[in-house]
Formats: sequence, structure tokens, C-alpha cells
Amino acid sequence: MRVRDAASRCNGQLRRLLAACLQLARALREWYLRASTREQRGLKLLREWLSQEQLAQYDANKYFEVIGCHTGKRYRICHGNGANILELGDDALPRTGGCFVPSEHLVAADVMLAQKIALETDERGALTVANNFTPR
Amino acid sequence: MATQIIMDLNGDTRKNFDAKDVKSLLEAERRFKALTGEGSTAATRVASGEPVVTRTFDPTVEETLFFPRLVGG
Repeated sequence: MRVRDAASRCNGQLRRLLAACLQLARALREWYLRASTREQRGLKLLREWLSQEQLAQYDANKYFEVIGCHTGKRYRICHGNGANILELGDDALPRTGGCFVPSEHLVAADVMLAQKIALETDERGALTVANNFTPR
Repeated sequence: MATQIIMDLNGDTRKNFDAKDVKSLLEAERRFKALTGEGSTAATRVASGEPVVTRTFDPTVEETLFFPRLVGG
């Protein structure tokens, strides 16, 4: 009798553990799918706002280039959500790096779109808040 | 139908409004003022596709994109 009770208790615990694992797996799957959807939505928006030339660059290299509206300098915006802007020299090689991002946490594509619009419409304002870094 | 696209944690949220409907228009204008008042930038596109920053609500614009204030990263 005692052995049967112990086995029954053990079965119950095992069932509860399995249920908890299943619930965790479902939550992880949902989290992953939601993150993926956010990324996809951001990419769709970015692609809608890039010029044809920028879109071709992005598809080929995962970066695109913009011209600063005040200085005419060329910047490369690489895929990412931080330390992803390179100022290019006349030789098209990176000279310095700059980083400015939206104050709220956004997916990489949204960050890149905000950076593009800022450099193309208010370059000086964007560079005022930017932190610099040395490109590798 | 015009659209206000607001970048957020979900990628973006799209709010459509009918410029011919007074209630809908007022709500869109209120949203524009609230977002830009918080420091968000509002951008639209000209016919050639280039972005333009706008500081006043224009009910005739088809699509307005809002992104949060920029800070050093």
C-alpha cells in the first residue's frame, strides 16, 4: 500500500513537472515568434523608405549609404542598432564612426531608418548628439 | 485614408484616419501634437521619395512616420 502511494505521488509530481516544462516551451516559442514578427515589420518599413539605390545596397551588403544634408558627406549605415554608422572619406573608406539612436528600444531596421532620415534631413542635429568611435 | 506610422517596441503601430471625417482628423492631429511634443520626429516623403521632416500637422499628407528623440548611442 505504501509503495503504491509513493508511486502515485511520484507520478503526480512528474506530471506537474512535465506540464510546467510544456508551458515554458510554449512561452519561449511565443516570445521567439513575436520577436521575429517585430523584426519583419521593421524591415518592411525600412524597405519602403529606402531609395532604390539604397535598397539595392542593403540587399547586397546589409548596409546602405546616405548623403548628409548639410555637409554632403557620405555615411554608411550598417545593419545593427548601435555603433553602426561610418563616415566615409573621398576614397570610400571609413574615416570615423558615429552613433546616435532613438531613445526607445527599437528593432535594428527601425533604428537604421531613423538614422537615415536624421542624416538626410538634419545632419547637424544628429551629429550633435552622436558619440564617436574608431572604426576597426 | 491617411496613415500615421509610429515606431515602437512592436516594430511599428499604424493609425489610419479619414481626413474628411472631423472626429478622425482631430484625433490624428492630437496624436501628431502629442508625439512631436514628447520629442518624436515626424517625417513624410516628397514625390521623389526623399524624406522631409515636418513640424506641423498636414491633413493632406498620406503617410507620416514618427520616431523617438535621438540620443547618443
